[in-house]
Amino acid sequence: MAAIEIKNVKKVYGQGDAATVALKGVDFSADTGNVVLLMGPSGAGKSTLLTIMGALQTATSGKVEIDGQDISQLKEKDRSRLRLNKLGFILQAYNLVPYLTVKEQFQLVDKVKKTGNLRQEELKDLLADLGIENLVKKYPENLSGGQKQRVAIARAMYANPKILLADEPTASLDSERVEEVGRLFKKLAKDDRKAIILVTHDPRLEKYADHIYDMMDGQLSQRK
Amino acid sequence: MFLALKEIKHEKMRYGLIVFMIFLIAYMILATWGLAYGLARENTVALEGWQTKSVVLNKNANLFMNSSILTKDDLKKINLTDKEAVVGELQVVAKKKGKTGINAQYMGVKKGEFIYKDQDVIAGRRAKSKYEVTADSSFKDKGYKLGDKVTLNGSDHKYTIVGFVKDAKINIEPIMYGFLPAWKELKNVAPGIEASGIISQRKLSVKGKNFKTYGIKEFTQKLPGHSEQNMTFELMIAFMFIISLAIVAVFLYILTIQKLPNYAVLRAQGVPAKTLIWATVSQSLLLVTSALVLALLAIWGTAAAIPASVPMAFTPGIFVATIGGMLVMALLGGLNPVRTILKIDPVQAIGG
Repeated sequence: MAAIEIKNVKKVYGQGDAATVALKGVDFSADTGNVVLLMGPSGAGKSTLLTIMGALQTATSGKVEIDGQDISQLKEKDRSRLRLNKLGFILQAYNLVPYLTVKEQFQLVDKVKKTGNLRQEELKDLLADLGIENLVKKYPENLSGGQKQRVAIARAMYANPKILLADEPTASLDSERVEEVGRLFKKLAKDDRKAIILVTHDPRLEKYADHIYDMMDGQLSQRK
Repeated sequence: MFLALKEIKHEKMRYGLIVFMIFLIAYMILATWGLAYGLARENTVALEGWQTKSVVLNKNANLFMNSSILTKDDLKKINLTDKEAVVGELQVVAKKKGKTGINAQYMGVKKGEFIYKDQDVIAGRRAKSKYEVTADSSFKDKGYKLGDKVTLNGSDHKYTIVGFVKDAKINIEPIMYGFLPAWKELKNVAPGIEASGIISQRKLSVKGKNFKTYGIKEFTQKLPGHSEQNMTFELMIAFMFIISLAIVAVFLYILTIQKLPNYAVLRAQGVPAKTLIWATVSQSLLLVTSALVLALLAIWGTAAAIPASVPMAFTPGIFVATIGGMLVMALLGGLNPVRTILKIDPVQAIGG
């Protein structure tokens, strides 16, 4: 079953002469258990597509279904609930809360999403898999770029979402870590039945992808 | 609350400074209010102790008891009960040999009446003869002792202090309780003049050719400088509340603006707006509550340390109003950035 299905989605910013077409009728789907890569140059529309898939903004036209639910007409409050319960985000700039320790980043998830999060043993394993089990008492300011990115990945995974959306998740990682993260994404997709969609420029992740899409000028084409 | 507490814990210096600013304002409000109440109390504490409800004075005295005179005929026209006390008031300078003089109000009273009987004597005893007086405890604080002999306005006779009484102040001056015959002598009144006025514990409404009854509120409002002083302090306190609101609101707004990128991420992750709003409002309440606790401790220390001559006094109402007022300001200040939080676009969390 498709975790995300997008049909003929268009996104236009602005109106009249100032209108900019970011997406020109995109069709896309990602199944549970798959790692899907969205690749392409900056400005191609990857991030716009990610925000629409992530229920952060609505498409100008077309249909967006997440876990079988049409989200095109949802109000912001309902989209917010959907993001909390079904989607996980890993963002470019790590986006950890600066005044929370690594441990508290997970506690915050517990505060806003009371059920369905990973158990403490599962979290322990996840942190060990990411090599950050000894960083739980540190604040983001005391972490390297790579460590922050791995914490951001762990935080997104902790909420146990069905769909994981990542924007350049390996931008700050060295090759060894990229391989680890790639393997982890693959494992999560296969073992935990998640759909993982990665927007990336990083060719080192290609070998972990079940499908690869290229985005160019608001149009999507499947390479793999 | 979780986010609010964690942020304060992490940014100790930043929030410490904000708490310090709010503490200073809360302390200023309490100190000003305490002084205002203390001063106002020194104007009226004796009147309150006498449980005064109305005052009878000479019509032409402009509600100033020192200038008022009531004649024997006037007193005959008033049905005096045990709820009334006839008094003769005179501003005096009490001076003991070798000491500087103290401005005081000589209050001549009658032995059987309630003002004489209800004196709160903390040392010594009540006066018994014409040239004996009881003095407000501030005399004791200034080094006067029981048995000291003082002249009043350079009187020929010396008056012996036989007791000290508590809360005997009017017009911010200490009272010396004596007797009406002595008052007549000190004031050198014409024959037939019996008193300055009548203090009543009832709501009197007597009126005569020469005299008039005034309610306690009207009387105290007309005490020299009393209402002007109160109004000045009230304005100062109101301004300080407004300043505290501005400080809390501005600080929280700036802090919220700085946190918007983080909030955008949290919104993107599905954290409800109400969680972020509560984080801001609870943070505001936490900051103000901490500042209030410090201010209350500081004002307690101040009240204990300042000299007794500085009239600082408090009522539970002052504390309740300050705490309540500051918390309302915190709530309003905390609500200020709510619109900004509600307008956060989670798309901002995603880089181009």
